[in-house]
Amino acid sequence: MATFLVILHGLLAVVLLGGITHQAMSIALPSRNKSGIFRSFRAVSGTVYTNANIALFLAVAILGSIIYPTYRIAVRTYLENARLYGATGSFELKEQFVAVGLGMLPLYWLLWRRPPEDGGKPARIAVTLILCFIVWYGFLVGHVLNNIRGLFGL
Amino acid sequence: MNMEKVFPIFAAAFAVIYILAVEFNWALFTYHPKIGEWGWLAQPARTGPPMYWYGWLATSLLGASSLSLIACPLVGRRPAQYWLGWLVPLVVMLTFCYLFRDFFLR
Repeated sequence: MATFLVILHGLLAVVLLGGITHQAMSIALPSRNKSGIFRSFRAVSGTVYTNANIALFLAVAILGSIIYPTYRIAVRTYLENARLYGATGSFELKEQFVAVGLGMLPLYWLLWRRPPEDGGKPARIAVTLILCFIVWYGFLVGHVLNNIRGLFGL
Repeated sequence: MNMEKVFPIFAAAFAVIYILAVEFNWALFTYHPKIGEWGWLAQPARTGPPMYWYGWLATSLLGASSLSLIACPLVGRRPAQYWLGWLVPLVVMLTFCYLFRDFFLR
């Protein structure tokens, strides 16, 4: 069951990664020209991603919290015994960043709901970029830890 | 309730209360994964390691919600302080990097 949930957690994280990166690029480096893949990637309407990103962030966090006890008992103990303190610390940071991100979701929703001309544009950019960073960091750390024995030949 | 003014305060309060909860272990409840038991507030290890993360989240949610409600009438006619909602969480994230530096310096 834990394996199924880890895979589902990872798959939903991939979808979230795509959504939040599209949105972050559309506001941080906007483009009106859709010629070429990079410009097309930045020329999306960021607003349409908001609710999906929130739902995915919550779903990924809830799935992560369900499989967390398995990590705490089996994986973290293994990492500590193997003296992989950097890996343990990376996960500790991930859990704290995700928690901070959860607290920012209502503001994120609000900032994308209102017109950017009303003075919230810098905050919209900042909140979206911070959430984008949290998602990327969480994804990379989770992916590396999930494959740590194979990646480092342990 | 004016969401424009309350949500930035909620984001900032959540981040600050969360880091305090982690640092001083203000967990509202503890989960003991090895035996599958829950207990109120921060409890020491029974069999296997205790998990406080869920409790820290609950503490932060309750604390930030209460603080936002209290702040609601106080902010009055002041404009919404959106910067609070991203700058404070950003500083909290950087502080976590500092607090957990020992993991990476061993």
